[in-house]
Amino acid sequence: MKKVVIPCSGIGKAFGAVAREATYLLTDSDHSNEYVTICLPLLMTDDVESKQRVTESNVYTVDGCPKRCASILVRHAGGKPVMEIMTPKVLAANKEHKPETVLNIGDGGQLLATDIVNLILNHGDDK
Amino acid sequence: MAFKPKVGLISCSGEACSGGNISRAATLEVLHYLRPTETVTICLPLFLAGDEGEREFARSFPTITIDGCSKLCAARGTERYSSTPAMKMNLEEYLGESCTSTDERWRLERSSELVDRIAQDIASHVNRLREEWG
Repeated sequence: MKKVVIPCSGIGKAFGAVAREATYLLTDSDHSNEYVTICLPLLMTDDVESKQRVTESNVYTVDGCPKRCASILVRHAGGKPVMEIMTPKVLAANKEHKPETVLNIGDGGQLLATDIVNLILNHGDDK
Repeated sequence: MAFKPKVGLISCSGEACSGGNISRAATLEVLHYLRPTETVTICLPLFLAGDEGEREFARSFPTITIDGCSKLCAARGTERYSSTPAMKMNLEEYLGESCTSTDERWRLERSSELVDRIAQDIASHVNRLREEWG
């Protein structure tokens, strides 16, 4: 079964856009046979298929702010993420990889998204 | 001069659906360029993950939900956790069935005209809701 990566849907901050970019770097790339994403808002509406996906798969959440929407919604749906990434904390370890804006995360944001991808790829996630 | 409220824009931003990406792009266009002083937004999942302050959002502002597909997560989530939106937009009315594309970014990069058209329609609804307020 494919692993599920779920970013936070953040629309107000660059860190939310970075979370989304990191997800697409996994799901729309050479890793697409291994990783898939689902729409986070579906978990708000108790979508049966999405709930089943997060309870039966290895789930990675990527959140852009301390509200941790992705992580909280996965748990609300009955899932338990194997890894919960906070984008600002990843930046703290690579301070030069600073994103620009929500409209354009810039080169720094792209590098930060790649850092997140590497964290997920290097994670030992056997459930 | 009569008070006119800001209008809350709530995009579904669905990650796995082209329509979600287009809803997000059109909403950002309105928030940043077309109506920057007349609109506000909130991340949709915050209605569940946040507290009462966030849930108060749609009770305080007239809101427009912008959904990428007919599952209408933004409209349903807003209604369930906050309050009934003043306007519900379903982008399938522009796109047809929009969640079948496998490469989300491909669709977004090639739909700027579409994003502009949807953004203009959102902006028109913003004007109308502000005019109708009170």
